[in-house]
Amino acid sequence: MGDIYDMFFNMDSGYLEGLVRGFKNGILNKEDYRHLTQCDTLEDLKLHLQGTGYGHFLANEPSPLTVSVIDEKLREKLVVEFEYLRNHAYKDLATFLDFIKYSYMIDNIILLITGTLHQRQLSELLPKCHPLGIFDQMETVTIANTTADLYNAILVDSPLAPFFKECISEEDLNEMNIEIIRNTLYKAYLEAFYDWCQRTGGPTADVMCEILAFEADRRSIIITINSFGTELSKEDRAKLYPRRGKLFPDGLIELSKADEYESVKRVSELYAEYRPLFDGTGNNPGDKTLEDKFFEHEVTLNVNSFMQQFQYGVFYSYVKLKEQECRNIIWIAECIAQRHRAKIDSYIPIM
Amino acid sequence: MGSLFRSEEMCLAQLYLQSEAAFACVSELGELGLAQFRDLNPNVNAFQRKFVNEVRRCDEMERKLRFLERELKKDKIPIRDTGDDPVAPPPREMIGLEAKFEKLENEMKEVNTNQEALKRNFLELTELKHILRKTQSFFEEAAMYHGNQPETNQPEEENLLVNDYAKTPYTKLGFVAGVILREKVPAFERVLWRACRGNVFLRHAEIETTFEDPHTGDTVNKCVFIIFFQGDQLKTRVKKICEGFRATLYPCPETPQERREIAIGVMTRIEDLQTVLNQTEDHRKIVLSQVALDIRVWFIKVRKIKAIYHTLNLFNVNIAEKCLIAECWCPVVEIDRIQLALRKGTELSGSSVPSIMQRMNTKEAPPTYNRTDKFTQGFQAIIDAFGIANYREVNPAPFTIITFPFLFAVMFGDIGHGLLMFLFALYLVLSEKKYLAKKPENEIFEMMFDGRYLILLMGIFSMYTGFLYNECFSRSINVFGSAWNVNAMNDSNTTLQGSGTLTLDPKTYGVFRGTPLPYPNGTGDPYPYGIDPIWQSAGNKISVQNSYKMKNAVIMGLLQMIFGLVLAFYNHRYNKDYLALFCEWIPQLIFLMCLIGYLCILIFYKWAVWNVLNSNSAPSLLIGLINMFMFTKPTWAKKTQLYSNQNEVQITIVIIAILCVPWMLLTKPIILYLRNKFQGTTRYAGVRVAVDETSDDVAILDHDHLDDPETASITPKDEEEKFDMSEVLIYQVIHTIEYCLSCISHTASYLRLWALSLAHSELSEVLWTMVMHSGLSAKGILGAFMSFVIFWGFAGLTVGILLVMEGLSAFLHALRLHWVEFQSKFYKGEGYLFTPFSFSLIVEGRVDE
Repeated sequence: MGDIYDMFFNMDSGYLEGLVRGFKNGILNKEDYRHLTQCDTLEDLKLHLQGTGYGHFLANEPSPLTVSVIDEKLREKLVVEFEYLRNHAYKDLATFLDFIKYSYMIDNIILLITGTLHQRQLSELLPKCHPLGIFDQMETVTIANTTADLYNAILVDSPLAPFFKECISEEDLNEMNIEIIRNTLYKAYLEAFYDWCQRTGGPTADVMCEILAFEADRRSIIITINSFGTELSKEDRAKLYPRRGKLFPDGLIELSKADEYESVKRVSELYAEYRPLFDGTGNNPGDKTLEDKFFEHEVTLNVNSFMQQFQYGVFYSYVKLKEQECRNIIWIAECIAQRHRAKIDSYIPIM
Repeated sequence: MGSLFRSEEMCLAQLYLQSEAAFACVSELGELGLAQFRDLNPNVNAFQRKFVNEVRRCDEMERKLRFLERELKKDKIPIRDTGDDPVAPPPREMIGLEAKFEKLENEMKEVNTNQEALKRNFLELTELKHILRKTQSFFEEAAMYHGNQPETNQPEEENLLVNDYAKTPYTKLGFVAGVILREKVPAFERVLWRACRGNVFLRHAEIETTFEDPHTGDTVNKCVFIIFFQGDQLKTRVKKICEGFRATLYPCPETPQERREIAIGVMTRIEDLQTVLNQTEDHRKIVLSQVALDIRVWFIKVRKIKAIYHTLNLFNVNIAEKCLIAECWCPVVEIDRIQLALRKGTELSGSSVPSIMQRMNTKEAPPTYNRTDKFTQGFQAIIDAFGIANYREVNPAPFTIITFPFLFAVMFGDIGHGLLMFLFALYLVLSEKKYLAKKPENEIFEMMFDGRYLILLMGIFSMYTGFLYNECFSRSINVFGSAWNVNAMNDSNTTLQGSGTLTLDPKTYGVFRGTPLPYPNGTGDPYPYGIDPIWQSAGNKISVQNSYKMKNAVIMGLLQMIFGLVLAFYNHRYNKDYLALFCEWIPQLIFLMCLIGYLCILIFYKWAVWNVLNSNSAPSLLIGLINMFMFTKPTWAKKTQLYSNQNEVQITIVIIAILCVPWMLLTKPIILYLRNKFQGTTRYAGVRVAVDETSDDVAILDHDHLDDPETASITPKDEEEKFDMSEVLIYQVIHTIEYCLSCISHTASYLRLWALSLAHSELSEVLWTMVMHSGLSAKGILGAFMSFVIFWGFAGLTVGILLVMEGLSAFLHALRLHWVEFQSKFYKGEGYLFTPFSFSLIVEGRVDE
């Protein structure tokens, strides 16, 4: 199957793959970051970004620049690129790109529901939604009071409906509930995405399953760590673990029994991939947090995905890398804007 | 030699500019466009340079101008283009410009916000108007149902609703009315239905007129809707959904009376608003039309200022002496003009201290600068596309002007096709002013336009070779009368009737006018120019032409390759590289002459010596060449001998050729090795020479190196390259092998001249016989009609296939023959292009800083 798949890949998606690889070359490198961290003002940052693949993306913004404007423009650029890819995608690739969008949709829904719960205005919440995750019915989620409501009235028509099966209940929406919904949705989404990649087979499966398995494990571990000291029961917690990672099934069973950070660490250290991530992490100044380590590992996986040709993984990886890059630039920009240069170097370099 | 033969002589110059005069001087240099500045602070970030604030201010000004330009485009106001080119204003005027742009931008923004608010207001009122109008019909319908309820056969739910409406008091059934984007209606309807469990009734109607979104200015389609529901809980829910879908709700009174009143009020307010809107629009137009007059000049000014500051950022700042130090490449012959520009700049700025320009010595290779005009630039582009010539290397472009169209024409020889091509190019050339002023958008057309002179020459040469081949749309033209005479054959009637083809034997007296000697009264000359038209109808046309064209191709190939070697000779002589001249160039020439040159001599010999009478016994040249290398002795008996003593001559030639190989291969590395061995003394001499230089120059160079430690550490390394015998030897082996093989393969490659020429003439003949001929052969009125119709098919195919596709293929092959076969003999192409700092390029937006 693999060879035949390779043969026809370029016919449908060759152009887009070439495009995305070209985009990837525009990702900032170490040298660029070094220059960025030397900037004194946001104007300097703008000037330097002009010399990179970002070009004149800030040229039409009146001074003085703010971090939020940069953030908005960075995001806009990614969205424009992604939408171009999506509009030219064909067949499987279109489905694949839609899968990428679903995760943003989940985030947006959760954002809106949480916002309404805290009595925020819709007009205030909308600009915070990620533009990749916008869909028609999104803005009406505020009318729902229970999850069943949410599903029956609104989400049943949206592409997220299949992921929602597991979290329908008549309970009122409260903060705890929303977290559970988010994680259940994410779990269903990851599993569906993983299975889809598996079915597609070929190099796409090789690359994507690796990345998604890591994503699933990361979620399991983070959920476990965050659940300590909350009212979430162990059984409920176990239900939130995406069952597609390398921890599945034994690791997840062990994780579900964990009571403290040390036991999570013990479980994870049984797996060669995750062992180094727990080494040398801590909350002391100078140490890297576990989260950063996870991000670094994700970046490595995503960069590696470009080593393989004829597969969709590059699209996913590009979006993720670009997202990381946006986070990095915003981090640096914030550090500059707040004159807090001590931590300016804790971005996650990509290349 | 002409200026195109070698690139301009360049020199590196150092400029000392007083800081107050620097701006004016660079501005003058930018107008001149003859100096290429080097970046003297490559290690400094873009935002740490000296004039970064000025650049930023220019950016800001440009942004404002772009904003104004966008507004102009939005209103479709043409920008006045007077074609004048203002000089960069002095820096003190920048503040004035900034203030002016600031004012305009603010004014524009204010007008825009006002207008947007007004438009939003207007939009709301219009929407309300539509709601009132449309809902009127909804209410009327409801009233009608109320009256004729039994007869209605509406869907169940509507009936239910109408029933409700009939039974319950009127006030209890609430409703909201509003406007929503048309594309959102289906989703809206579905969500409403689901969220309210079917307990609402929605009616919607499309608004025929489109609206303008006040913020983005896009046109949008909208729908009026009205939702009926019961109870307050549903009302909040419906309102939330409306909010979610960004539908705008409007108050809509229940009684027709009130609705009418509101409608009248709305209408008057719309009218008022319209007048206000018109006034704002007029005001906007006035502001913008003023902007349109000057915006182009402003753009040019700002771009020039920005370019100047960018250039100043490349300079070294000497704080102690309050001056800027710049380094630039410039053509030696233009130094005077540059100095004049500097003087002018200094005077303009009112600085008392003059700017100084000083030539520097450098080991670095200068950029290549070929001065071209509109005629030669197309040809230079062909060469540059392969690789920019090394500094002062022989530039093949001037020769390409003739050889390229000629080789093209050899493959494309046809009078008709050439004429069409010529006329097309002539049109482009004659209307070039029009197209130069307004650059064509189409990329393909632009490409052809840039190569218009090339196409023109290709057309002319194609007509010339077409005359030689005697082909015009694959037909022959009998200008001078054929030299062949059928009557002289004295064929009997039976032969004439019996066979489809006749043999014309030139041995027979009188059949061929040009038969050589044995006929003393040879009756005149052969066809004086080109190929005799009778060959067009001959059965053996192809085999005769093949032999002729093939030999021609080899001869032309040899001539071009030898010419390439001659140019290589000029290169060696210019570089004083006598080692390469004697150890590479001479054996190369001998090798080529022994192999291919000898073959060409044989071709001419055979043409001259063999004639009609003894052509039966003519030896094959190809077999002869093979036998020559096999050392097979040619004999008269086997019909392989051309001349006496041939064997001895050939053996000598082969031995000489073989001896050339070690000559090419070994002598140069050995001499280099020996030189290196005794290098100690030469190096000593080198140091002495350096000391002898004038103390001024040395000081400058040192100064330069102090500022730039990186280059300083590299430079000495460049000067004494480490000698590595194995590397030299491998390099030499590769080049020797390449050259020897290429002598054969390149000659074979020139056979494409024959192959493409054959393909072209065959294709055009097929097109004639299959298409045009069949149209002409029909008889009567039908024939006239047919030939008219078929002519267009023929014309289309001729242009599409023969002119465009065949022309493109011949072009590519001619390109290859030049790049590979010709230029590999002498052209290095490892230089870099001279890119002067010039406003004319920057203003057009062709250079991105």
